[in-house]
Amino acid sequence: MAELFSNLALGFGVAITPINLLLCLIGALVGTLVGVLPGIGTIATVAMLLPITFGLPPVGALIMLAGIYYGAQYGGSTTSILVNIPGEATSVVTTLDGFQMAKQGRAGPALAIAAIGSFFAGCVATVLIAVLGAPLTKLALAFGPAEYFSLMVLGLIFAVVLAKGSVLKAIAMIVLGLLLSMVGSDIETGASRMAFNVPELADGLGFATVAMGVFGFAEIIRNLDAGAEMDRQLVQQKITGLMPTKKDLIDSAPAILRGTALGSILGILPGGGAVIASFAAYTFEKKIAKDPSRFGRGAIEGVAAPESANNAAAQTSFIPLLTLGIPPNAVMALMVGAMTIHGIVPGPQVMQKQPELVWGMIASMWIGNLMLIIINLPLVGVWVRLLRVPYRLMFPSIVIFCAIGIYSINNAPVDVVLAGAFGLLGYWLIKHDFEPAPLLLGMVLGPLMEENLRRALLISRGDWTVFLTRPLSAVLMATAAFLLVLAVLPSLRRKRDEVFVESES
Amino acid sequence: MSDRPISGLGQSIMPEWIRAPQDFFGGIALMAIAVFALWASSDLQGMHGFSFGAGTAPRMFAGLLLGLGFAVMVVGVVTEGPRMAGYAWRGPLFVSLSIVSFAITIRPLGLVISAFASFLISALGTLETRWKETIIVGICLTIGCSLLFPYALGLPLQLFPRFLVQ
Repeated sequence: MAELFSNLALGFGVAITPINLLLCLIGALVGTLVGVLPGIGTIATVAMLLPITFGLPPVGALIMLAGIYYGAQYGGSTTSILVNIPGEATSVVTTLDGFQMAKQGRAGPALAIAAIGSFFAGCVATVLIAVLGAPLTKLALAFGPAEYFSLMVLGLIFAVVLAKGSVLKAIAMIVLGLLLSMVGSDIETGASRMAFNVPELADGLGFATVAMGVFGFAEIIRNLDAGAEMDRQLVQQKITGLMPTKKDLIDSAPAILRGTALGSILGILPGGGAVIASFAAYTFEKKIAKDPSRFGRGAIEGVAAPESANNAAAQTSFIPLLTLGIPPNAVMALMVGAMTIHGIVPGPQVMQKQPELVWGMIASMWIGNLMLIIINLPLVGVWVRLLRVPYRLMFPSIVIFCAIGIYSINNAPVDVVLAGAFGLLGYWLIKHDFEPAPLLLGMVLGPLMEENLRRALLISRGDWTVFLTRPLSAVLMATAAFLLVLAVLPSLRRKRDEVFVESES
Repeated sequence: MSDRPISGLGQSIMPEWIRAPQDFFGGIALMAIAVFALWASSDLQGMHGFSFGAGTAPRMFAGLLLGLGFAVMVVGVVTEGPRMAGYAWRGPLFVSLSIVSFAITIRPLGLVISAFASFLISALGTLETRWKETIIVGICLTIGCSLLFPYALGLPLQLFPRFLVQ
């Protein structure tokens, strides 16, 4: 315990210098500003703002990135509530009840509860990281290539379980993502793979390029479809009262607690922890509610629970990153990129070699959350005005921002064209009901998965049973198999029901 | 020149045994991607002994995708599903054009011209555009970007055409 406090003290000592506080504030503010633009989610925001941090010292850069991340995430929730456009996968659930509340003129309480829930979740998760970070690092050392491979299979299966539509199509998307991640140089032999001698492809497809295309551009193109205007109707009416009433607070307090608990646990698991957490928290609230029919019609718990869950998960998802070096989701993968640029290799060694960096970042996460609540509660009115900009002016601006953002990452025009191509691919995927999120996760985990698979098989001399004979790996594989069965079962049952319905009619 | 998505097209042309055209053609497209990847990685070294070659993993995933694409296609034949969604042409065309024009012009012509031109091209993507307003916003946005990215964020972006600067 004493060690814990000395660590946290070290962290706050690093984070509470005027410079770092300022960086955190700027990060949170800019992150919120960009994240609140509809069509630009957390991934795009972080990718776009990543270059700002290049000139800073490593600690400052990571602190600012953490601020940007939380800002972007909160900005995404704001658009979910106000205009029914989720900024990212984790705030999809927030639209269900948040937008309904906004329609009833209760956007203020919804936004406030989202901020308060996020702040509470952030506080709890900060302590959790401090407590669990070190023990988990020891666990990380027990992980060989076989275990890592199984862990990644498990992470990918999580993406399948939570996909909204067909399990089969979600798996297909993951494999497509894995295949896309193969483009570029082979890690071991350096052979150029599927790059067709395009120099810009030699390093592989940039993650930000694909993400911006499949999410940003594809979403814009889809919104331009005739008939989609209905979905982007803004809430033009006045926001009545910013602060939630006493009843709102009493209603949402237990939901925030439960959401935080669920989020903290699920965030630790690699593979879309935050997304899983928000879905799980919403489903859980609905299951235990006395009157489940209120959900989807403006229940404040339906905003409070998923919002605190996704923030808690976003925070605890730093644990696998800092201790195992595994990016648990797309944004974390960008963080790894940022760390590498500063010469930091995430993994078990970082904790020991650069404690001031790790603990400084953990402390700054808490400060980042505090900044968010300070910035956002008074700014709600401003966001609403920003969102009243008509879409016909909004979307060309988003296109330009995205194009400049992608270009600035590598100063490569080819990247911009590639992002455009992935935008069209994303549009096609939406039209065929394929979800882009699993694809992105597959792309992130692909290279790590291949590397560990090759290593594991090399060590076991080509024996494929190694994944089942090593106990830890076997447990992970069994969990993955169990989850997959769980995901497939309901759809099988539904098919059977459909058959019955048909035979009856 | 209406921008309505062409819908119902799928139903009239398609034979009846395809019960979920969306899945059926989605699956076929995935299979096409997989075959393309198999071809593209065919020149890479495969397994030697029990160690992977450069081409093993790509071919493995491509093979897997081929199988999954086939499965999705089969699902499209055996189960009832949504028909093909309509595609709009205006949005995708002008947004893509705008992105490509940005990519081509950013190097030689600089940020100011490139961003403004791309803004106007992408504004063609919807019929809702009102030109006077769009041009004013475009100018403001271009000025904003020229101040934000090179100065505030310190990105190495060229503002004006190369031949003017030299």
